[in-house]
Amino acid sequence: MDEDRVLIIMTSGINTPRRCATPFFFASLAVAMDLEVDMFFTIDGTSLLKKGVAETVYPKEGGAPVSDFLNDAIESGVTFYCCTASLELNDMTPDDLIDGVELVGGATMWELAEDASKILSF
Amino acid sequence: MAEIRKCEFPDDLYYDVERHAWAKVMDSGNIRVGVTAPVGTLSGGELAAVTPRKKRIGKEINAGKSIATLESSKYVGPVNSPVTGTLVAVNDEQLKDNPNLLISDPYGEGWVAEFEVPDWDAQKEGLLTGEAAQEAYRNFLESEDVSCG
Repeated sequence: MDEDRVLIIMTSGINTPRRCATPFFFASLAVAMDLEVDMFFTIDGTSLLKKGVAETVYPKEGGAPVSDFLNDAIESGVTFYCCTASLELNDMTPDDLIDGVELVGGATMWELAEDASKILSF
Repeated sequence: MAEIRKCEFPDDLYYDVERHAWAKVMDSGNIRVGVTAPVGTLSGGELAAVTPRKKRIGKEINAGKSIATLESSKYVGPVNSPVTGTLVAVNDEQLKDNPNLLISDPYGEGWVAEFEVPDWDAQKEGLLTGEAAQEAYRNFLESEDVSCG
């Protein structure tokens, strides 16, 4: 376990927009606190990783789209992992994913969890 | 006090331009640090929270490491230390009550933290002050098209 490493498991997606900004904000915040941050996307969370989708999801009407928060997290250095099996659940293929996402099996989630000192799930 | 693109830069501070941080020697001998005026613009102009790393008081912190976080509805980012030393105090109470002190009074009531820095004389050589600092900041502000106010 690495004291300075945290894991955020993202299961919320396009059907629950209000739940889709804060996890990315918390991830960026953790980087600003010198933590190493992994985000693991599965279940509905994977839907946000489809090219062009996060730009159309608004946590609040008239506010910023999820893509603003997602891109901030990527730019700050958060590592994105996508669960392979969740692609099928969301009718997606690997080619649908935005750049910078590592496609991994579910066992990687457990490895990331072993490495992390803290785990959040949204 | 120099003013560049409406951003103020006191003459007597030592600046880490890359990290947008300043440092100065207090009467106690401690080194007080904070952020420079352009941070107000870079962070979007209005902060919802400033959270100094109070739990790190008593610990050695290297230059470049996070000593506080800034949050607004559109921005999140660190305050990175311009010095290496032992963190001895943070301005958490004032900044908790009014996070925007960091923007409205960055060199005064909006200070962030204080350090014990035994080798300050050596470390200050790595920081800029006076005209050298102003020149570096002028270059940054013009190249990034950033201004204050």
